Amino acid sequence: MAAAVIAHPRVAHSRAYRLRKLRGSILFWFALGLFIIFATFPVYWMFVTTFKEVNDLYNLQNNPLLFHLPPTLDQVNYLFQKTNFTTWVANTGEVGLAVVLITVVVCVPAAYVLARSRFPGSGSLGIGIFLTYLVPPTLLFLPLSQLVVGFGLVNSKWSLALVYPTFTIPFCTWLLMGFFKSVPREITEAARVDGCSRLGAMFRIVLPLSVPGVLTICIFAFTLAMQEYVYALTFVSSSDEKMITLGVVTDLIRGDVFFWGSLMAGALIVSIPVAIVYNLFMDTFVRGITGGALK
Amino acid sequence: MVAEVARARSFGINKTGARIGHLLDSERVFGYVLVAPAVAYILLLVGYPFVIALWFTVSNSTVAHPIAEFSGLRNLEGVLNDDIFRRALVNTLVFTLSSQILQMVLGTLLAFILLQRFRGRRIARALVMLPFTIPVAIGAMAWTWMLNPTYSVINWLGVHAGLFAQGPNWLGEEYPAMFSIILVNVWRNLPFTAIVLTAGISAVPQELIEAASLDGANWWVKWRKVMTPIIAPILYIALLFSLVFTFTDMTVVWLMTRGNPVGATHVIASYAFQTGVIAGALGRGATMSLFLFPVLLVGALVILRNLKARTLD
Repeated sequence: MAAAVIAHPRVAHSRAYRLRKLRGSILFWFALGLFIIFATFPVYWMFVTTFKEVNDLYNLQNNPLLFHLPPTLDQVNYLFQKTNFTTWVANTGEVGLAVVLITVVVCVPAAYVLARSRFPGSGSLGIGIFLTYLVPPTLLFLPLSQLVVGFGLVNSKWSLALVYPTFTIPFCTWLLMGFFKSVPREITEAARVDGCSRLGAMFRIVLPLSVPGVLTICIFAFTLAMQEYVYALTFVSSSDEKMITLGVVTDLIRGDVFFWGSLMAGALIVSIPVAIVYNLFMDTFVRGITGGALK
Repeated sequence: MVAEVARARSFGINKTGARIGHLLDSERVFGYVLVAPAVAYILLLVGYPFVIALWFTVSNSTVAHPIAEFSGLRNLEGVLNDDIFRRALVNTLVFTLSSQILQMVLGTLLAFILLQRFRGRRIARALVMLPFTIPVAIGAMAWTWMLNPTYSVINWLGVHAGLFAQGPNWLGEEYPAMFSIILVNVWRNLPFTAIVLTAGISAVPQELIEAASLDGANWWVKWRKVMTPIIAPILYIALLFSLVFTFTDMTVVWLMTRGNPVGATHVIASYAFQTGVIAGALGRGATMSLFLFPVLLVGALVILRNLKARTLD
């Protein structure tokens, strides 16, 4: 066996071997290159569109991939000065914060007991909460629009603060359960023996150890709320009540005229923070979506 | 002496027994109290609306008159006789299935690429993940601009590469529009599929693959007979999620084509939105939305079974 390995005719065919290897690596880089271009070209295009002069952008004679006039901030300025963009940012902040608050207040206790206690129905409750994450906005937007009327929140951004927790709660509860499970049971048991109450053990022992987990769900709740589109489109129509994503994709179109430069500027501004966050937390995010099916 | 020990023991058992009982009792109360807000929120804002949706489908509700009368199956009849809806039903299946197939094939390829060791792998990974990390609505808008009838950069590239003389009006003609929607769906979800697959593949024990190699297995045999069986459960879950999300989504269609030209590219969700929200026919819109439910239910049941199997481990 060993002799056979040594006698493998690799050395003799080193040229052919090297050639094959070279061909393989060219193919590899070519495929990777194609994937990268496919993935990033739209973002590059957003970038180019944002900083082009209008005359350059709509000139069909030019190579659209390059700048023919010096880059400009006109489109970004238009976005900030002539649209409600700053209002949308503020709305996003307010609604996002409300969603985060509701999510944390509701999820932390639920995730805690679902992860650490056993009581009749605890398993089914956990799975039930998780499954609601599968219920799409497109199934519920019509009845929810009537519910929003009932709450007196027609055409108000606060309708979104009410509705968004329906998907942040299941998602974040499952993510948090993972974090809570990783805190060793012995620690809380020791605290209980020392006379700590159940609630005390949660607040004084497990929560301080799970701060990173709680911060993670805050970030997810905020970004999930910030990029939602279907509910926002259904419930909010006045410009000054919109959140950032909806505002950017609907308000820069006046009749048939698209303000592509400013639209892409807004798109870029929304995308950058979300993209950074999701890249940093990608594995956690995927774990959240698939309910811990991925370890 | 013996009797004393026995008594002490039985006393101990009784005492701990009582204590465990007491603890269980409070654990139960504690559990229900803490999980109650989450359950209440979901019942109020998912469960209750779902019941209303069911009522809408059998009533003649409109936005102007949400409190309506029972109208039996008239909505269902109307929806099934609606040509655009029937088209939307077919479109939804076509969009979902072709996106899934493309995603699985390309995703597998991308996963294997990302698993290689090479210089700049982290950057490459971040770049490839980009479509999944930016909001769907934003991505769809960027593509709408790239496929603009007059200023399409794709057409410019195609013309200058000599692929076509003029390039199609991507979003204005039926088949190019359907192709565009599938393309954007794949663009958006490919990173998710790839990342799930990489996680799955890297969980396959290296020894197994080496053993197969020593036995002379080629890459296809290794993929089919060694890796696929191991990563199948994960793959399954990822596929189901991606399926459910694609099947029920309307964002891409709504932003890119609004279902046009003349309703040819509607999917169930976008047409339900058009009917229920824009036209205000709540009953009909809700009936259309309800067509999403069977797929959702099957998806949920399969995921449920899978999750239960995992919790038993």
